[in-house]
Amino acid sequence: MMILIMAWRNIWRNKSRSMVIILSVALGLFAGIMVQALYKGMMRDRIKSLIYTEVGHIQIHEKEFKKDFEPSLYLQHLPSLIQQIKRIPQVKAFATRSIAQGMLASTTGSSGIQMNGINPEQENVVSSLKNKLIAGSSFQSQKKNQLLIGKKLAKKMKLDVGNKIVLTCSDQEGNMVSSAFKIAGIFQSTNSMWDERNVFILQSNLNDMLGIPGESHEIVLLLHQDELATPTQQILQKQFKNLAIETWKELSPETDLMVSAVDITSYIIMGIILFALAFGIINTMLMAILERTREIGMMMALGMNKVKLFFLVLLETTFLTIGGVPIGYSSAWLLNTYLHKSGLNWKSMGEEMMRSFGFSSTIYPEFPTDKIAGTITFVLITAFISCLYPAIKALQLQPVEALRK
Amino acid sequence: MDNTVIDAHNISKIYNKDNIPVYAVNNVHLHVEKGEFTALVGPSGSGKTTLLNLIGGLDLPDEGNITINGKDITQMSPSELIDFRLKNIGFVFQSFNLIPVLTAKENVEFIMQLQGIELKKREQRIYALFEQIGLSDKLDSRPSQLSGGQQQRVAVARALASKPKFILADEPTANLDTQSANNLLDIMYKLNQEEHMTFLFSTHDQRVIDRAKRVITLVDGRIVSDTAKQNLPA
Repeated sequence: MMILIMAWRNIWRNKSRSMVIILSVALGLFAGIMVQALYKGMMRDRIKSLIYTEVGHIQIHEKEFKKDFEPSLYLQHLPSLIQQIKRIPQVKAFATRSIAQGMLASTTGSSGIQMNGINPEQENVVSSLKNKLIAGSSFQSQKKNQLLIGKKLAKKMKLDVGNKIVLTCSDQEGNMVSSAFKIAGIFQSTNSMWDERNVFILQSNLNDMLGIPGESHEIVLLLHQDELATPTQQILQKQFKNLAIETWKELSPETDLMVSAVDITSYIIMGIILFALAFGIINTMLMAILERTREIGMMMALGMNKVKLFFLVLLETTFLTIGGVPIGYSSAWLLNTYLHKSGLNWKSMGEEMMRSFGFSSTIYPEFPTDKIAGTITFVLITAFISCLYPAIKALQLQPVEALRK
Repeated sequence: MDNTVIDAHNISKIYNKDNIPVYAVNNVHLHVEKGEFTALVGPSGSGKTTLLNLIGGLDLPDEGNITINGKDITQMSPSELIDFRLKNIGFVFQSFNLIPVLTAKENVEFIMQLQGIELKKREQRIYALFEQIGLSDKLDSRPSQLSGGQQQRVAVARALASKPKFILADEPTANLDTQSANNLLDIMYKLNQEEHMTFLFSTHDQRVIDRAKRVITLVDGRIVSDTAKQNLPA
């Protein structure tokens, strides 16, 4: 207990020096937390965009369908399949889609694309595609052969709302089929690669082209919670052993990998910040030890053993280090709360580059509550490592020599 | 019954200065019994502090051995020596005696905590000790709020806190005015008279020498005289 009191009072013997270290730790922690919050916000938005715009929580296909996108590999017994899916309580909504790989041609050129035949009523529930329209409008019931095209593709092909294009693909017999479409709307998601690759038409139009009336290649499921994806996949897989049932993590493994990589990266950044801070802490503690050589010699002479002396140095270092934690945390929390509402606009830093990786140019940081324990552990490890060298110096002191200084 | 507290045989401490061996303590024999009030005197550099350091286990002799209360401290490991000092020897240093961040009470309690004495006993002993040194009203004062004499009295209380076999005091009155020095000496003398606490001082101070029951004179690391006094002033 007395060692605890001594350690606490010792750090305030030189207030300005201690405050510099405490504020350095606070600043380091603030920077580390903000980096984590930005990463977390970016990844949360990316996953949301992936689930609610691109792939949904779960997709169901015939097992071999995604190998070559063969039009004839549509889902068998679709009505009974839908009935069974409706009975699963985790499923909030679903949409059927027909898919075909093909080509979009206009007067300016052509581009390889994926045609997504959708049912607008179902699609509006499972995906936010409708909200991503930046020009034109969604499908209108009275009009035929309408098409929604991504902004990136429209720009590349120099297309605009009202322009006509031709879509070409193979039907289920293997014949090349083409059909003309008029651009009804242009959408823009946070993923420009996806915008460039996908076009949306009515499912009935695509089915007519493919010669598979009333069929679907894909069922997209929207669940009540993101965390239900894997357990629901397991339930579905038990029921439909012959179907390919994939969660968003399997449908977009690069996003899953990115989430893991970002987690590790944020810890590495925190580690680098604290590693740099450790040198400041070591310097401060070393000065504190050297200034108190006689005092330490006296305590050793009186009978303070090396374990207790080490503990004293460790406690002082820990107090200095963790002293900055509440300041760093609270300032990061305040800024984060503000930015979480207002958003951090990175448009000037390269909107196109951000979109090409699937990220929005406005980031809404999210305070990394789940990383508090990890961060504090990092801080404590830093304190321990930082105290080693000054503590060894203190332990090497001989009472007689120390008392003479 | 053997009353021997300190028994030093043929102890020498040699320093190498420019590769020339210099004897700080040269073949010293010293025998101190319980209840002695002994002053080590001699000119600067005569080896007083070195001899005290050797007896206190703060330094090891190059030759000879030192027995404290029947235990040869020259054969102990450094960690055994630390523990031995804690339990057997009280120290009063010339200056920089107290831990500046602790109050007078905490400075004394610190040693007792190191010894593992329980809180209730610590409290009782601390109040008794501060009563003895006449500083009951200064328990919560920091060293910077105490005069030099008061600090040395707290140092005596701290030395006594661990109930040592003897107290080593290295020039305890060196930085004190006459009044403070006399107060400190009165306390130490009273402890010696009433509780038979053994004191071994190194000193230049005639006031300490006058009070000592035995005066040992060192010159160039050797004992040149060892005088026991009979009629001492009260």
